[in-house]
Amino acid sequence: MKAIVAVKRVVDYNVKVRPKSDGSAVELTNVKMSINPFCEIAVEEAVRLKEKGVVNEIVAVSVGSTQSQEQIRTALALGADRGILVQTEDELEPLAVAKCLEKICNKEEPDLVLLGKQAIDGDNNQTGQMLAALMEVGQATFASEISFTDDAVTVTREVDGGLQTIKLKMPAVITSDLRLNEPRYASLPNIMKAKKKPIDVIDVNEIGVNVDKRVQTIEVQLPPEREAGIKVENVSELVDKLRNEAKVI
Amino acid sequence: MDIVSRLAGVIGSENVSYCDSELQSYGVDRTTIWEGNPKAVVFPRSVKQLQDIILFANKYSLKVVPSGGRTGLCGGAVANNSELVVSMDKMNIIKEINLDDRSITAEAGVTTQQIQVAAAENHLFYPVDFASSGSSQIGGNIATNAGGINVIRYGMTRNWILGLRVVTGSGDILNLNKSLVKNNTGYDFRHLFIGSEGTLGIIYEATLQLTEPPKPSTVCVFGVEKFAYLTEVLKICKSMLQVNAFEFFCNNALSRVVGAHQYQRPFDTESPFYALVELENTEIETETVFEVYSKCVDEKLITDGVISQSIDQARALWRLREDISETLWHFQPYKNDISVRISKMADFLNDVSQLTQKNYPDFEIIWYGHIGDGNIHLNILKPKNLSTLQFKSFCDGVSMSLGELISKYEGSISAEHGVGLLKKESLRFSRSEDEINLMKSIKKIFDPNAILNPGKLI
Repeated sequence: MKAIVAVKRVVDYNVKVRPKSDGSAVELTNVKMSINPFCEIAVEEAVRLKEKGVVNEIVAVSVGSTQSQEQIRTALALGADRGILVQTEDELEPLAVAKCLEKICNKEEPDLVLLGKQAIDGDNNQTGQMLAALMEVGQATFASEISFTDDAVTVTREVDGGLQTIKLKMPAVITSDLRLNEPRYASLPNIMKAKKKPIDVIDVNEIGVNVDKRVQTIEVQLPPEREAGIKVENVSELVDKLRNEAKVI
Repeated sequence: MDIVSRLAGVIGSENVSYCDSELQSYGVDRTTIWEGNPKAVVFPRSVKQLQDIILFANKYSLKVVPSGGRTGLCGGAVANNSELVVSMDKMNIIKEINLDDRSITAEAGVTTQQIQVAAAENHLFYPVDFASSGSSQIGGNIATNAGGINVIRYGMTRNWILGLRVVTGSGDILNLNKSLVKNNTGYDFRHLFIGSEGTLGIIYEATLQLTEPPKPSTVCVFGVEKFAYLTEVLKICKSMLQVNAFEFFCNNALSRVVGAHQYQRPFDTESPFYALVELENTEIETETVFEVYSKCVDEKLITDGVISQSIDQARALWRLREDISETLWHFQPYKNDISVRISKMADFLNDVSQLTQKNYPDFEIIWYGHIGDGNIHLNILKPKNLSTLQFKSFCDGVSMSLGELISKYEGSISAEHGVGLLKKESLRFSRSEDEINLMKSIKKIFDPNAILNPGKLI
């Protein structure tokens, strides 16, 4: 079985993001960039499936800047076999990313496409769903457990009310949630081996999809600072404030 | 009227406590050997109150134990003999962050972490850091010249003190060095108070130097086959990389931490020792890490290694080292915090490990520490069948033979934890009789009635 895993380069989860001084975008100069945590979980899951013998080839795909090769290398170090970068210096919207991934999937014909449920920069949570629709295959989003039987895959999904278990025919698109697994550390010997694994770079203009933007960013600004709380002396003061100031009761 | 009631008259009864639970908890630090038994705990809220307490103690010959976050590991803040504990908990205001001077002025009771956070909020950095930074207080950090995990790059607390305000044992209020960067005007009393362990006076306010925040760092963990190889790995790392920290721990330490916290091991291969290396995070460095790794593997110094791919992973790898002390605390470990010059480290490690193997083959011994600073923490876990006292008397025996070895290597019996009660008997292995006598004379000048921290240090 062949698996494609999508990986995205994003601002590291632990960086406190700031807008650029002109408010045009988020400041990325000298900011630590990492693999999107949900993508990392998707990669880990693919590697575990390979270790179990379910999957025999993993292709890590990224749509993004030249530097996204670093994140593909991370995936290769964790256990992916080869990489593909659809290169663009522009920020693509989820539909454009999904279309690029669809083109890659048409060529690669994977049995399984694994993605993170969302990237922590845009927080869109759309690419996986759109990709499944474009490919006209089943989708299982927010996966917390995946198991395989002959030609079907059973996925436990984290939904608002609890857990939902569904069964899909292959090929299928699965997006990972936080509890699916805990990714391993990339070992230095594996990182060094990963340097020898191939990465194909394809220019986004050669892939034949419309990547025009439909949304224009007008301004990026920090959310208003939360005001400090106050202490009340007694219950009646609390009730008074809730009723007359907060107007919630 | 008894003395405690008189004291309440001096600083207000709301600032005095003698309830049992507070007496017990304020009477001890992180050492688990002594039980707290002070007469009372007082919480001064101003320098005036602090001075009044010291004058009162002089008048009534009360012994005083200065008290911060009580995270010390040598009994420096232990009060087990009807002393008066002077807690700095209520003097906990950050008074100024000066961006021109790049300094922060804080009262002694502000925690190390609060200093770090306040600095970060102003895009600056206070580099002294250790696992207990959330509880330890800056006054105590200074009184013990605290070290921690960033010493290899930034030095100990001493390097970051611009100015101190203290009340001496005789009740004088001094403003030491006035926060100047340059001040060549004779004896610098500030440095006497740093590391004085509360024997000369009580630090109530400090001005600390801040610096540029470091770039995000990358953390590697290497598996190392032999103790002696650690210094070889350090040598290679330092020759090729900008090393911020170089720590080590043994496999027992890793297993204890991983077991207690359900952490992920860095890699599956087990090694007797692990080195944790923190590096400046630049593209070039990451490439060089591969060269370092290959060189170390070629020389058969290391067996496996990982490198963090995100800040989260860097932190997770650090926790493997930082959580050791807390994890072991439950086993009432006998802690040794020893150092030698880095150039003598390899021979010293060899001798120490022979000493422990020969004399104490049945005890679980846990090694970890800051190889980069020539500092190792040697912990012996208390076997269940020994009582605390039996165990301590056994360990005192260990200390003596270890002390002689340290003396031979001209090392220190306490690299960063201080002396307190625990290491007092071993002080002679690191300091000559003449030196100790001079220390005693200095104490007499600042604390003529010997009221401050009796029995500690000297």
